[in-house]
Amino acid sequence: MILEFLINAVGLGALYALLTIGVALLFGVLGLMNFAYGELILAGAFAMYLFRDQPWPFALLMAIVFAVVVALISERLAFHPLRNADPVTLMIASFAVSLALQSLARMTVLPRTRGVPPERFLSHRVTILGADVSVLDLVTLVLCGVMLLVVAWLMGRTSLGIQLRAAAEDFRMAASLGVKANLVIPAAFVIVGVLSAIGGAVLVARQGSVGADMGLQPMLIGVVGAVLGGMSSLKGAALGGFLLGAATALLESLLPTDLIAFRDAFLFSALIAVLVVRPQGLLSGAKVRVS
Amino acid sequence: MVLRIEDVHLQYGSSVRAVQGCSLEVGEGELVSLIGQNGAGKSTLVKAVMGEVPVASGSITVDGTSVASKSYSTIRAGVSHVPESRGIFASLTVGENLRLGAVTRKDKAQVAADIERELERFPILRTYWSRGASLLSGGEQQQLAIARALLLNPRILLLDEPTLGLAPIVVDLIFDVVVALREQGMTILLVEQNAVRSLEVSDRSYVLQAPGRVLGSGTASELGRMPAVVEYLGFSPAEVGDPR
Repeated sequence: MILEFLINAVGLGALYALLTIGVALLFGVLGLMNFAYGELILAGAFAMYLFRDQPWPFALLMAIVFAVVVALISERLAFHPLRNADPVTLMIASFAVSLALQSLARMTVLPRTRGVPPERFLSHRVTILGADVSVLDLVTLVLCGVMLLVVAWLMGRTSLGIQLRAAAEDFRMAASLGVKANLVIPAAFVIVGVLSAIGGAVLVARQGSVGADMGLQPMLIGVVGAVLGGMSSLKGAALGGFLLGAATALLESLLPTDLIAFRDAFLFSALIAVLVVRPQGLLSGAKVRVS
Repeated sequence: MVLRIEDVHLQYGSSVRAVQGCSLEVGEGELVSLIGQNGAGKSTLVKAVMGEVPVASGSITVDGTSVASKSYSTIRAGVSHVPESRGIFASLTVGENLRLGAVTRKDKAQVAADIERELERFPILRTYWSRGASLLSGGEQQQLAIARALLLNPRILLLDEPTLGLAPIVVDLIFDVVVALREQGMTILLVEQNAVRSLEVSDRSYVLQAPGRVLGSGTASELGRMPAVVEYLGFSPAEVGDPR
């Protein structure tokens, strides 16, 4: 029972951490609060629907391709011309991109919510150390955990990662050292595309459906987790997302059945309490770069 | 000339004129200082060289190539900048900050050797290599900023108020480093409010008066013969004397 809960809580925490890193990375590098993030998740989720009859790893790969392509197109068409715009303009542009993509999906391929039959192996259960564990929870944990490790390696051990972290902290100074906007900004969009695709694939597996507005809630989770951890710190954002996911799993396990519907009320009350004590977020420094 | 600024006008927004018709030159291997009071336009001029402030009129060239308003072309031309704020990335370690200084370089083996050279020059950076840069003192951060700028192997080093807010003993250390760099043949433009120390170490100096006008230029003894400069500075640069 405890092991099952732990796998569920850590898995959900890792999923939420992925979502928050996607939000915090673009906010740091570009000063962009990207409300179109939900539609990148939608692009990945739609690929999972489109390739639902193909092997799951292939569908996952296509989800990554779809989300990265949509991310790069949105960067090139909407955000590239606005690179030096103020944060409010960028935010409004991201609203526009979000609504445009959502409407496009609704008009064309997703006029209504589509069911995606659960992948057979994901609906199995296995026994680990005497505990009955869902394979879906295990896959969520392993996939998101591995992605977090890859992101941590990329950001901490590679030249690109150092440039991204520097650009996220102070873009102008990074540029004056030779960090190229044309490298780090598209790279950030690619990483965000990959993260949102993984998030979208896991969400489709958990929900069993794809709808044009399915990106809204995970996008909000990403924003809330990033605010909780600290928008100017990628580590903080990951921690915020992880805590949000783990707390969600904890509340689902502990709350009486008739109070489960009010789970988010408990969750966000706790969030407000944390932000009253640390308005800059859990791990953030004093500085938040905006454009 | 390595750096040539000719009749440059700079302004913030549509009305605030920060620099009006400033001209200056820095030759190969020269240490030239830019001195003047707060608000004289010194830092704005340096930012214009780095392409961070648009040039309304006039020209800025490095080795004859125009660089203004294009920050990457400035770096490619070999201009390295240590800003007034030091520009240290607090979320990165000391080692990661240093590696960023060589981000444009392809000669990785030589970069490793050059990092070793800077660690010899600033031993404290070796001690704190894996430490978060935010944990360094102001003086240590300034050493890190200078070391990082030198990793570009620049044609010219722009030092903007490198001793601002530092303890006297650290100020001495920074000026010792500047002098050592000059003796090694580095071309340096030093922006300082500490006029006396700047005049002591500089081959030539430009005295800037708001809004960014050159009141006078030359060696300390030449500046000492300019009444307007003596009145503006409140002392005669001739009393400081020229560097050895």
